[in-house]
Amino acid sequence: MEKNGHATFLDEVASIPACDKINECIQCGVCSGSCTTAEHWEHPPRKVIAMVRAGMKDELLKSNSVWFCVSCYLCTARCPRDIKPASIMHGLESIALREGYKPPTSTTTMYRTFADSIVQYGRVYEFGMMFNYFLKTNPFAALKMLPMALSLLTHRRMPLTPKKVKGKDELNTILNKLASGGGR
Amino acid sequence: MEPKIGVYVCHCGSNIAGTVDVEKVAEFARSLPAVVVSRDYKFMCSDPGQDLIKKDIKELGVNRVVVASCSPQMHEPTFRRAVQEGGINPYYFEMANIREHCSWVTESRKEATEKARALVSAAVRRVYYHQPLENKEVPVHPDTLVVGGGIAGIQAALEIANSGHKVYLVEKEPSIGGHMMQLDKTFPTLDCSACILTPKMSMVGAHPLIELLTYSEIDYVSGYVGNFRVKIRKKARYVDIDKCNGCGTCMTKCPVKIDSEFDEKLSKRKAIYTPFAQAVPNVTVIDKEHCTYFLKGKCRACEKFCERNAINFQQEDEVVDLEVGNVILTTGFKLFDPTPMKEYGYGRLDNVMTSLEFERMVNSAGPTTGKILLKNGSEPKSVALIHCVGSRDEKYHAYCSRVCCMYAMKFAHLVTEHIHGARVYEFYIDIRSFGKGYEEFYNRVQKEGTVFFRGRPGEVTDVANTAEEKGKLVVQFEDTLVAKQMRLPVDMVILCCGIEAQADAQEVAHKFNISCGKENFFTEKHPKLDPVATMTDGIFIAGCCQGPKDIPDTVAQASAAAARVLALISKGKVEIEADTAFIDEDKCSGCRVCNLLCPYNAISYVEKDKISRINEALCKGCGTCVAGCPSGAITHRHFTNEQINAELEGILV
Repeated sequence: MEKNGHATFLDEVASIPACDKINECIQCGVCSGSCTTAEHWEHPPRKVIAMVRAGMKDELLKSNSVWFCVSCYLCTARCPRDIKPASIMHGLESIALREGYKPPTSTTTMYRTFADSIVQYGRVYEFGMMFNYFLKTNPFAALKMLPMALSLLTHRRMPLTPKKVKGKDELNTILNKLASGGGR
Repeated sequence: MEPKIGVYVCHCGSNIAGTVDVEKVAEFARSLPAVVVSRDYKFMCSDPGQDLIKKDIKELGVNRVVVASCSPQMHEPTFRRAVQEGGINPYYFEMANIREHCSWVTESRKEATEKARALVSAAVRRVYYHQPLENKEVPVHPDTLVVGGGIAGIQAALEIANSGHKVYLVEKEPSIGGHMMQLDKTFPTLDCSACILTPKMSMVGAHPLIELLTYSEIDYVSGYVGNFRVKIRKKARYVDIDKCNGCGTCMTKCPVKIDSEFDEKLSKRKAIYTPFAQAVPNVTVIDKEHCTYFLKGKCRACEKFCERNAINFQQEDEVVDLEVGNVILTTGFKLFDPTPMKEYGYGRLDNVMTSLEFERMVNSAGPTTGKILLKNGSEPKSVALIHCVGSRDEKYHAYCSRVCCMYAMKFAHLVTEHIHGARVYEFYIDIRSFGKGYEEFYNRVQKEGTVFFRGRPGEVTDVANTAEEKGKLVVQFEDTLVAKQMRLPVDMVILCCGIEAQADAQEVAHKFNISCGKENFFTEKHPKLDPVATMTDGIFIAGCCQGPKDIPDTVAQASAAAARVLALISKGKVEIEADTAFIDEDKCSGCRVCNLLCPYNAISYVEKDKISRINEALCKGCGTCVAGCPSGAITHRHFTNEQINAELEGILV
């Protein structure tokens, strides 16, 4: 038994909203069988759930699993016990961040820049968001995206200047409410 | 006779005594008016417990009894009998439920004891006003109706008929046989399904005591245990059942070809047809919706060639009235339709098929004469079997269908037997091989080389990622035992679909006044101790209409239901509870409101006296008329206003 103790970790995850049915998983594997990125995961989604129940917190949160979830929700659509595996992956991501586990991917940076863009404009300002993202990760990687960026620009699918949504004040109220409730 | 009440508080081991302070409750009861004795005892339902009551009736002159114990569902008859054996009328008894309504649902000992006291007080006050009542006996009609001609109905009908009693067997299809007739082999012994079923079918067809009503449906049911009246609609066959000898000439001459339901649409049948060669009765039927004559007014080819003049286009539906004493419902199941599970591609991808389609294909009397073939006519070299399709899945059916693991393994055996060198892969979540010889069959299939992957596939696709996958069906799954996502190219995918209730189960249940559970299977009286009876006396259930089960279980249940019916027939009479309603003829204004309200058609208007009367044999004591009567003319025996008010006062004191 790992030092965390399995019941503690399971309880911790099960207390997160939309993760409450984790103990009802029958380990059928339809989530891993459906997962669009499973080949990159050290432990596929079904095993992630098994590891939570086995209390293998450290081993799980140090691995690259969870972070490859692209929220396609195929697992959640097909789960026969309706346990919402994608939500469990996101729940585990928050635990990992809160407790200082270092994410092995730039996923969190992507989440942050995305969220920043929403906070600032009420919508995604693609040009600014990608600029910030590459600035914080690897600026040279942006070069690879150049052809796509040019194509988007010429087809007028990516404006160079940001546009705010209507009713940004109302949105701010919602966002502030979220922040005051412990959201980030 | 001054009431002298005896109160008996049961411990039920620790079921009640663990939560309720039974001694305190007994002591409290002693203080209530008219109570002459109050005791607590470990198990009141035991012989020594019942003897306590009998002894007090004899020695202390107790003439009213209250037992505070469990739900009356199980033991009210026990205690009524004890009271009667003690020498007083069985209706001088009242039960206070301090288990299901109290100790099992209350955590605090103090609150549970308080509630038990209130319930006992209510029962004591109520029993004070009880009246002696006499149960009525009605005769049991010796004929039985069996609804559904699958293996369950066939078995039940034969059991009863073989003991010398008349049976009416009703089947909505043109032939009896049901789903079992569609199957190829049966697990785990691999008996040929038709070979073991057809002798029973012809026995039914030839039995002098079985009247077969095929192509017929139940229109209306009334009456009560021992005395049901049933209207059965014999749908027009357009073929005279007495003249047709089943020669089949009409079928060869009929120009219309449509998908055969029996062959799961893998072959064609004619508009005049029998579902399969060994049909019982071996009489054709005209499918009105597809017959050229009915659609266009011309053709009549069948009529021209029929040597026995059996075709009759003028035939109409015929309604038959029957009187029967008991009914057995054996209406069977429907296979889960996997079309909504888009990820498995049924209906979109060639060579993805359901289990029943495969049963027909692999059957030597089926559309391919038993050859396992792909759409392009070649034999598959690899077959994937996906378990739990539509079962163990909250989106479709949460339950396990019980038969799929075993039939999937039977399929694996059949594929390896039919196609030399073919690979078979089973995709399972858990293998459930619980029956006699079932685990051994699992082992046999493993020895034959079938590969078992533990993992429910995410999807079946025809999109190839590699050259090896080209032109194949690819099963994408996680082998959960090595925790790795894999893709497996195969030629054929069989979806092992679960069993679900018939689409019209609720409608049938309503007709027979029984109930359906959450998943629409008929509800048995008790899940363990009374699995073939229903809450309506005289209506029994057997086979898959009660829940998914395999053939051995179905046959056992059908025989059990037959035994229950035979017991009633041989006794010849049933007791009807005395707690029925009656009308005070002086108060009745003849408004007939109650006539319309009664769900059992027990009340009729008597024209010459200008009042309504209740047929006590039909009355179930539901009380609807009592509440509905605007003149307060109806009294419900054993539920009089005096008794109910006293009970309420007892609780509130």
